[in-house]
Amino acid sequence: MNAVNLQVNLGGLVMKNPVTVASGTFGYGAEYDQYFDVSRLGAVTVKSLTLKPRAGNKPPRIFETPAGMLNAIGLQNVGLDAYLADKLPFLREKNCTIIANIYGYGPDEYAELARRLEAEGGADAIEANLSCPNVHDARHARGGTLVSQSPEKVLEYTRAIKSATKLPVFIKLSPNVADIAAPALAAQEGGADAVSLINTLLGMDIDPETRRPRLGNIVGGLSGPAIRPVAVKMVWDACRALDIPVLGMGGIASTGDALQFLLAGARAVAVGCMSFRQPDAALKIIEGLEEYCIRQGITDINDLVGAVRI
Amino acid sequence: MTVILDCEITAHQEIAPGHKRIVLRAAPIAAAAAPGQFCMLEAHEGLYPFLRRPMSIEHIYKDGISILYKVLGLGTRLLAHMPTGAVINVQGPLGNSFPLPEGYDRYLMVGGGIGIAPFPALAEAIMQRLGRTPELVAAARSDGQLLLVKEFARMGCPVHIVTDDGSAGMKGYASDALRALEPDERTLVYCCGPTVMMAAVHEVCAERNVTCYASLEAEMACGDGVCMGCVVETTAEDEARRMARVCREGPIFDTRDINWKAGVRP
Repeated sequence: MNAVNLQVNLGGLVMKNPVTVASGTFGYGAEYDQYFDVSRLGAVTVKSLTLKPRAGNKPPRIFETPAGMLNAIGLQNVGLDAYLADKLPFLREKNCTIIANIYGYGPDEYAELARRLEAEGGADAIEANLSCPNVHDARHARGGTLVSQSPEKVLEYTRAIKSATKLPVFIKLSPNVADIAAPALAAQEGGADAVSLINTLLGMDIDPETRRPRLGNIVGGLSGPAIRPVAVKMVWDACRALDIPVLGMGGIASTGDALQFLLAGARAVAVGCMSFRQPDAALKIIEGLEEYCIRQGITDINDLVGAVRI
Repeated sequence: MTVILDCEITAHQEIAPGHKRIVLRAAPIAAAAAPGQFCMLEAHEGLYPFLRRPMSIEHIYKDGISILYKVLGLGTRLLAHMPTGAVINVQGPLGNSFPLPEGYDRYLMVGGGIGIAPFPALAEAIMQRLGRTPELVAAARSDGQLLLVKEFARMGCPVHIVTDDGSAGMKGYASDALRALEPDERTLVYCCGPTVMMAAVHEVCAERNVTCYASLEAEMACGDGVCMGCVVETTAEDEARRMARVCREGPIFDTRDINWKAGVRP
């Protein structure tokens, strides 16, 4: 049956297939297990974890846009302790491969999160969210507030996280930069095992009738099929600059979309907000990738990585 | 249990200008559904509109459900064009349901505009399970926007009409009509409508120590507790419980648990 090898190695994390889900679009895995066996995913990437629980931003937090959505959730999450006590047992019982996405205030908090996750068996890999656009009040923030917009900071944070854990460390980058290669190379220099991109694009929507921003946070992150071509291009840019692998994401809704990221150079992909529309979207893509390989006579999915014909 | 299902549209008609009822063959959803729950409808196969549309269940039948909706934006316009016999993908039932406590003297439903949509199933449950007949306050901007008045009258429910412009029934707001009915602690109130209306209904209830359950509405991405997008601010102070998901902890809330000041924009 397994004529096609779908297994990939993402910076030391062995995934049985190259498809995970984007942090924040899949809860802690259990929520969608009612629709399909989530252990079939290459990995489950959990909602960003912080040391303490966070209530997140004021509503409204989401607004639908053409072929996508804006969100400004603000990292509402249960916190590390509740994750380890209440959410992790399900994932371990199901034998899921776990990518724990983390968010901290300063490099020490990231390091602490990574250290504790490793010590308590809470993750198989760490994805450090250095690029959340929604944790600053837009009324006061000026540009350049995301860690991943500064290559120097990316280097510093990556080193701090790497020194705290032996788990594979992925650095998640923002697309809101002039040159994606700069933060990506900084992550590589800091010892990152892979980079994840793209996080959401900063966006804004205003209701002309009320003249108010649609989001309580004023601005938010744009995701969905609308941003996919931007994401594919950035993955391609990053892959040409890097030696470490890339976890590609941004608007993936179908098998063909996922293939584009692989062909652009991504070693693995993450399905994001399409899971909101269709909870088993990632599973359908895994099945679709295998069918594609059979149809194209590909025996190892790794042969497709970076195989775009220029 | 929640399912995702292709459902045949068995009827789809306009019930008032700009308002439609869609009836779906969906036995697994109907079997699991309780009054006050909602479904996520895929109004379109393509990716724009991108998200499903959350809609509360109007009636629960043996082999399906009906839903009332107002044609407002792109999603509902596309939905409105779907013909009888077509198939639509539906996820549901989702969310909690209206509590049905026994022992009240009066059960009073207050619906503003399309907010009346979840009450038929509620009224049926109150009649069947509690053996009581609920009253309805039907509120709307004007006469033409009143919904389901005849249906509730046919069920035997006393109906109190109130319109903003006085074109039908009492002139005023839903909260004025409620106050005029002098609810007390022996009255249980259910309400659904625009946020400002529910906040005003809550105030009347709070003054009189009346328990009130509101069905809230929010922009939703997943409808299933995952995205954290549809939250409402509660009166809880601790960080982990301050925000409640309308899709999961709700859509039905005791109005005393909601921070109405945060939710109502001036």
